[in-house]
Amino acid sequence: MKTILLIAADGIRELIHQRLLVGLMLASLALTIAFSVFLNSTRKYVTESFSEDRTASESYKGNETVSETDRRKVREQMESASSAFQAGFYGVASFGGSIVALFIFSTAVASEIRKGTIRLTLSKPVSRTQFLLGKYLGGVAVMAGYALIASMAIVAFAQTQDVDLNPAIKWSPWLMFCEQLMLGSLALLLSLFMHPIIASVLAFFAGNGFYSPPNPLYFVLPSYSDFGVFFDVLLGTLVDWQHVAFLSLYAFDFVTIMLLLAIWRFRTKELV
Amino acid sequence: MPAIRTENLSKTYRTAFGKNETSAVEMLNLEVKEGEVFGLLGPNGAGKTTTIHLLLNLIRPTRGVAFLFDRPVSETDVHRRLGYLPESVNLHTYYRGRALLNFYAALCGVPTEQRESRVTAVLKLLDLEDAAERQVSKYSKGMAQRIGVAQAMLHDPDLLILDEPTASLDPVGRNQFREFLLELKRRGKTVLISSHILSEVESVCDRVAILENGVLKRIGTLQELSAGGSARLVVKDVPGSVMEALAATPAEVTWLQGQVTIRCQDDSVRQTIELLLREHNVEILSIESETQSLDEIFFSTIKRETGS
Repeated sequence: MKTILLIAADGIRELIHQRLLVGLMLASLALTIAFSVFLNSTRKYVTESFSEDRTASESYKGNETVSETDRRKVREQMESASSAFQAGFYGVASFGGSIVALFIFSTAVASEIRKGTIRLTLSKPVSRTQFLLGKYLGGVAVMAGYALIASMAIVAFAQTQDVDLNPAIKWSPWLMFCEQLMLGSLALLLSLFMHPIIASVLAFFAGNGFYSPPNPLYFVLPSYSDFGVFFDVLLGTLVDWQHVAFLSLYAFDFVTIMLLLAIWRFRTKELV
Repeated sequence: MPAIRTENLSKTYRTAFGKNETSAVEMLNLEVKEGEVFGLLGPNGAGKTTTIHLLLNLIRPTRGVAFLFDRPVSETDVHRRLGYLPESVNLHTYYRGRALLNFYAALCGVPTEQRESRVTAVLKLLDLEDAAERQVSKYSKGMAQRIGVAQAMLHDPDLLILDEPTASLDPVGRNQFREFLLELKRRGKTVLISSHILSEVESVCDRVAILENGVLKRIGTLQELSAGGSARLVVKDVPGSVMEALAATPAEVTWLQGQVTIRCQDDSVRQTIELLLREHNVEILSIESETQSLDEIFFSTIKRETGS
């Protein structure tokens, strides 16, 4: 276990020194925040103009107070804009995270083979299984950091902009993290057979969100789309914990199978 | 117990769909004893690096097996006794020198309390103390090579596998490296060194193996290899018919003041000449074995195989 952790720590060190990756992560977070700022300002504009219209029409009628129906309409409008803002935040963070995950996991082992650094590492008492698991674990830690930063950003942003957090968005960092680990494990496996870019594209489009029954691919390909909470956030649907627990188990199961296949492949792979 | 042993070790590369096959190593039977400095020689593409990669389990043999200290190379644990320096040292450039060595020391299982002192000692040994806190990406080729040697030495391994270790070193660096190898030899370490630089191998190796096209051509100590080599025969009063017969052999014949010197390139030529002289009752005045340098042994082996 100590060796796996050493390789994982090395993997984290390598990843945070990769300008392209750090750039991708920062760009993803910056885009997320920029998109949220845009949505929030739209929300403010809509609610303010709605209130101004109401006030103008009420002044014309000579009424002193806003009716209950109008108040409800304003509230609904605000809630809907708030949900759109959160769904947008989630959507961009999730997509950006997926790209980052594909980059990290598809290059984790492939770049070590390409650069030849794997030769020195494996000349030490490090088994191929330990090396592969260490590399995966390093990627997991970086993705956990990404999910954590993304969730902290949304909480901070919601608090400063006076937005109530949607119930579904609370589960989104965890589900996003699970989805990215699935995506990563598949990209890692495929990268042991082909070029990392092709592996990334295949891993991304292998998600059965692109297929629906009765297409047989739906039943054999990973269900990334089940982890998406975009519409739950947008519509304000409640995501119950049983559903989250089931998805977590599914992700764990999928990642385990992918890693076992990757270990099997890596054990016989020529490393020069 | 041999430090390295291979039995019929073979590696064949196949192109897509298995149409063409290239044999990189063929039926290699090698044994390197503990405490021995062993040179692996051969021209480019001879199979030296492939043999090393097979010993490190980086690639799988098509046939045969390889052992390190009598344990299959696939056993990771045997790597605790092994240090390896690749031909081109590719390091994790995001580390500083000392941190990189600390990482490798941890992987080698050097206990935490000994790690720092071990790293400092190796840095000092290889004259890298000033560069210890510098980013590895800023290292020159020579420095990278030295840090490569440092990582191989960290855990004081019993066996060192060095693939073209001086390829990127200047003459001063090469000389230092030769001293370093001699020091390893004095300390009883087993070293397998693959090199193009024959003089370097000649000065430090106990035994050498010459590979060509993946096949082991010759193996032995320098004395053993040169013993079967050229010889000089001196004869007198050689009849004209024998002179004609001698001229038809591959031997070099020189005549001076009635004395004929016949230089035989190898054992087989010598045997032919001796037989010819005896048949014609020509007295052989002296036979001197010529000591060959490693260069001569190497080139005569390669020439013989290529027929040039």
